[in-house]
Amino acid sequence: MIMTLKKYSLKRYRKYILPLILLLVVTEGAAIACGATFGKLETGLLNGLSFLGYMFPPDWSAFAEMVQPAFQSIVIAFLGTVFGTLLSVVFALLAAANISNPWVRNVTRFLIGLERSIPEIIILLLLIAAFGLGAMPGIIALALGCIGMLGKLLADTIEELDPVMMESMQSVGANKMQIIVFGVLPQIMPNLISYTLFRFEINIRLSVILGAVGAGGVGYELDYSFGMLQYHRAFTALLVIIIMIFGTERLSYMLRGRIKMEGALK
Amino acid sequence: MSTVEISLPSKKYKRKVTVFSAALIIVSIACVYMGFNPIGIFTEFHFVRDLLGEMFMPNYKVLWNNSSIGFSIVQTLSMAFLGTLYGGIIAIILAFLAALNTMPLKIVRVITRFTLSLVRVVPILVVILIFVIAVGPGTFAGLLTLVITTIGTFGKLFAEIIENTENPPAEAIFSVGASRLQVIRYSIIPQILPSFIANLLYAFDINMRAAIGLGIFGGGGIGFELYMATHVLHYKDVTALISLIIVLVILVEKLSDYLRRKILGEGNLK
Amino acid sequence: MIEVRNLTKSLPNGRKLLDGISFKVNKGEFVGILGPSGAGKTLTLRCLNGLLKPDSGEVIIEDEKGVGHDICKVNKRELRRVRQRIGVIFQGYHLVKRLSALENVMIGRLGQISTLRSILYGFTDEEAAGALEALGKIKIAHLAENKTGNLSGGEMQRVAIARAIFQMPTLLLADEPISNLDPSSAKVIMKLIRPLSETMPVVGVFHQPEMTAKYCTRVIAIKDGKVIYDGDPKLSNDMLVEIYGEELSLIEQQEHAVPPPLIATN
Repeated sequence: MIMTLKKYSLKRYRKYILPLILLLVVTEGAAIACGATFGKLETGLLNGLSFLGYMFPPDWSAFAEMVQPAFQSIVIAFLGTVFGTLLSVVFALLAAANISNPWVRNVTRFLIGLERSIPEIIILLLLIAAFGLGAMPGIIALALGCIGMLGKLLADTIEELDPVMMESMQSVGANKMQIIVFGVLPQIMPNLISYTLFRFEINIRLSVILGAVGAGGVGYELDYSFGMLQYHRAFTALLVIIIMIFGTERLSYMLRGRIKMEGALK
Repeated sequence: MSTVEISLPSKKYKRKVTVFSAALIIVSIACVYMGFNPIGIFTEFHFVRDLLGEMFMPNYKVLWNNSSIGFSIVQTLSMAFLGTLYGGIIAIILAFLAALNTMPLKIVRVITRFTLSLVRVVPILVVILIFVIAVGPGTFAGLLTLVITTIGTFGKLFAEIIENTENPPAEAIFSVGASRLQVIRYSIIPQILPSFIANLLYAFDINMRAAIGLGIFGGGGIGFELYMATHVLHYKDVTALISLIIVLVILVEKLSDYLRRKILGEGNLK
Repeated sequence: MIEVRNLTKSLPNGRKLLDGISFKVNKGEFVGILGPSGAGKTLTLRCLNGLLKPDSGEVIIEDEKGVGHDICKVNKRELRRVRQRIGVIFQGYHLVKRLSALENVMIGRLGQISTLRSILYGFTDEEAAGALEALGKIKIAHLAENKTGNLSGGEMQRVAIARAIFQMPTLLLADEPISNLDPSSAKVIMKLIRPLSETMPVVGVFHQPEMTAKYCTRVIAIKDGKVIYDGDPKLSNDMLVEIYGEELSLIEQQEHAVPPPLIATN
């Protein structure tokens, strides 16, 4: 059998031409839609950067004023995570094929997927429309926001549990609630804690953003400062936020590392 | 008979009760501190019911009457697309500058890594507010914000991916006398390509949702339209827009999934 | 006492998985069920504790008062009650890995504890003491506080046996309890199960004829959904071939097969 050597010509790149043209066309169209020509991009980024420089130095006296709002943002994230986790566990149990019946399971999975598609800000806007401004809509928005992520992750974790373990418990006469409490919950506990801590990190960032829309806390302070053209004060708020986020990340990382250790040693 | 030490269930129960009570007290104090009354959700549910009443039936006419809605969808998609594209490209370049195995000069690596950390830690809210002042409100500000946040989220990640490539192929290529760039082309890029593409598609998904959220802070696009609608209390429009957004997000997610499977599926056969 | 009468179960396409299985096991007997894969052994066992409902037939189990219950006909609550007194050991890992051995043993009595009390309060000290005793009987009391996931396969099965003992059952079922174990652990497990048959009927599904020959009082062979042998555990060679017939001949075929050529020659 003689093998013919395919010519390593440029012809083999032919299949890339069409997608590349498509990419260029889409990019151009998108750029027009956004009013973003290439030159503008560069100047835009540089303008932004220089403005950041203009905001420096921070207003040192404002630091003291930022502590309480920062604490509030943290508490909002904390409460949102706590209630969100509780909700998510319920949703996850309902959405696990090995725990609930097929009809309930599919409906719940659909709801979880639906929640994932709605950005938390929109949920907040609706809640503010219903309940007014304040911490309450913020906490509820964060709690509901957990469902999309934690609900799905936990439901998947539950579905991956060993079915023989559950049959075994069934066989000694345990009923569904007992199987959940003594079989499912202990097995998913490390995952639950890990995911919750991770979600808490996300919720801290969200708490800042939601705060600016009306939930209060340091996000609100930031937005307010910008509105009042007090850019140095805004910079102070920025620094406080950075410290907050950084601290939370470290804490969460540390705790999750300890959970992994415990889980590994079982 | 048994000299084994076991923890008695009664003691365990007492411990459980203590922990649970402490948690309950902490949460209650937090709720009081924030003025949050969880029961209020149920006692004040009529607000929600009223709102829902005002929100149904969704007014889809707003989609055709108002041609700007259609355009704003295009804008939001464009923001997400370009933000991912430009941000991704810059992130990749910075990643190569920051990775141990592609940048031999330590000083360059240190500076790049520091920059990436800085960008990563600035919250998106600040970025949009700055750009709104720097270039004016609208989709351009939103786009720039997404570029920055994409760099922040994926710069470090890409650097780690590059560093996690297997060394032996690189050494093999080096040993036949290739230059560093050739090593990159033939050893590193094939290894990182699937991961990069997957991440970029994921970035598109995230940026899509972010673009919607940014609209509220002056970023333009459909998020802005939604915000306007809530402000003028046109709740039927709000519902229509939300359902539109949901459809949009789901479509983008499916598209992103499809593309990932298509491109990476091919990649596996290469 | 457990009596099985005429169990049948068919697939929708008409193929019979169980075809009139009948046998009776009394206290004092340790019955091993053998048969080729897919013959219906595990299906039969699952019918014995209600994990599977046959198309027709009866499974009558005597409870502690001597009253017979037909598993196939009881409702959910009664099934749960009957299961309280049926001890089951499965193949492989069917215990809750993140709970301690002691807790896994106590789970055996979940069917006998009210749901409310078990979930809100947990187990009582008396139950813990009883569970410890059960573990002591299997000589693994020292492992009581170990997380079950950390134990070896043999130790886990011993915990499962302790759980079964703790239930104070009137019947013990075992589904391939030694298939995952190394030979010495398997021997230990068989030696532990055997004396249990003095107080209750023991029925186990096995893949190891040499084990059943040594430890069981009686062997039932199932092939193509029918009982083809019921009697002395020491099976003759002919009988083994008849039971595992096709499988054994398959193995022989493999031994005489010509290995495929390594290099294509054409």
